Amino acid sequence: MSFRNSVTVVASPRSRVGKTLLARLLIDFHTQERREVAAFDLNSGGGTLTQYVPSRTTASEIADINGQMALFDRLIAEDGITKVVDLGHESFEGFFALASKIGFVEEARRRQIAPAILFVITPDATSVESYRRLRSMFPQAVLAPLHNEIFGIAQHRDKYELAGHRTLLTHLPLLAPGVRRAIDTPPFSFTDAALASSRIPLEVQVELQRWLRRVYREFRELDLRILLADLQSSILGS
Amino acid sequence: MAKPTVILVGADKGGVGKTTVARTLLDYFSAHQTPTRAFDTESPRGTLKRFHPDITEVVDVTEVADQMKIFDTLGSADARVTVIDVRAGLLSPTLQALSDIGFLESAKKGQITFAVFHILGPSIASLNEIAETARFVGDANYFLVKNKINDTTFFEWDPKTYNTYFKQIKGASEISIPKLNEMACEQVEVASQPFVSFIANKDAQGQTANYSFVLRGYVRHWLGNVWGEYDRVKLIDLIAPKVEAVRQQAAG
Repeated sequence: MSFRNSVTVVASPRSRVGKTLLARLLIDFHTQERREVAAFDLNSGGGTLTQYVPSRTTASEIADINGQMALFDRLIAEDGITKVVDLGHESFEGFFALASKIGFVEEARRRQIAPAILFVITPDATSVESYRRLRSMFPQAVLAPLHNEIFGIAQHRDKYELAGHRTLLTHLPLLAPGVRRAIDTPPFSFTDAALASSRIPLEVQVELQRWLRRVYREFRELDLRILLADLQSSILGS
Repeated sequence: MAKPTVILVGADKGGVGKTTVARTLLDYFSAHQTPTRAFDTESPRGTLKRFHPDITEVVDVTEVADQMKIFDTLGSADARVTVIDVRAGLLSPTLQALSDIGFLESAKKGQITFAVFHILGPSIASLNEIAETARFVGDANYFLVKNKINDTTFFEWDPKTYNTYFKQIKGASEISIPKLNEMACEQVEVASQPFVSFIANKDAQGQTANYSFVLRGYVRHWLGNVWGEYDRVKLIDLIAPKVEAVRQQAAG
């Protein structure tokens, strides 16, 4: 089965692991792929997705039924729009409990929307346990582990391998601090950064573009996996 | 010929969710392919009829003509199960009327399967209602239904007292109906659809409707829990006892 578009939830039970940056990159990646994108910001506090990409992002919350309806009814809408959710760590439990309760993954697949969870892996037991729980709660979703290279070598990747299969790991390559500073002032669009009139110095722009190409190579491979619904490809050698 | 079943759904107070429970029963039997008919005693307009118009008739259970309509047709009706949604406050009088026309006798003699779903509210006054109905129920299958329609703590009375009343009724079972989110409740009411139609996102004409996916999910989850309770008390076995099925099989 192949899907028309996808919903990707960027998730981790930990804070400050790079979820918002990943959400920003996904928005830009899909835009480059000529897709209409809508993003949902489930974070409280500052430095959030809504500030970086205001034109594409809706601030959301799931504390009450109205917020839940506004978010999930939209995620499931057959509008051909690719959806990205930046799931703040405080909403991690509530979001997936609700998704499971209302049958979100099954409904999405029924409507030919590919449900995907981009899970940022970290060595702590909480994250490993959360990952395993998501695997058993949502067997029909693509659960893609991602390693943020800012944390060094993924020595803990073994903990994220399930049932003896080697899971394909997506990587967020390391970004030089100088370049990181340039992109971390909201609002910020990666597309606009390439413009000649951009306030970013040329050498930083060059480095940024090099980095973005590497990121999008990783995303393209992940995207194909999600849209082709080929869960087997998560398991090397199948 | 299989025994017909009559289920009275009643409460002595209004607003405890009696009609909601009746609706879950109708959907439950429908899901089990058991032909069912319903009588709505909230005459003249009815409350249950709005949701299941094809199988529900509005009646006045105190009128002899309507009593005949219900009980004289038990044996000949296509429906295996008859659900009677008894108007709030009329449960005991209805049971009295049933006793008067000999219905409870028939039930006692095993000619009819009779069940009472007594919907209880959270207040202590419900205890007296149990005592009231206890004297009629006899061999009927009696279900005490705690319907959690709001967040108030249920049954704040002393468990010993509660058990005293509960044990007055032979073979009584308890059923707990969990709370359904208010907005989901409201939307189903507005849609005027059976729960299963709302969940399937279908309108009255069978066309695809536009109900909220989230609310449909809440209702599906809730109804699953409610039906789980009916499974737990073996409601289907009550309607179609395995013994009878086996006997019929043996006979031919």
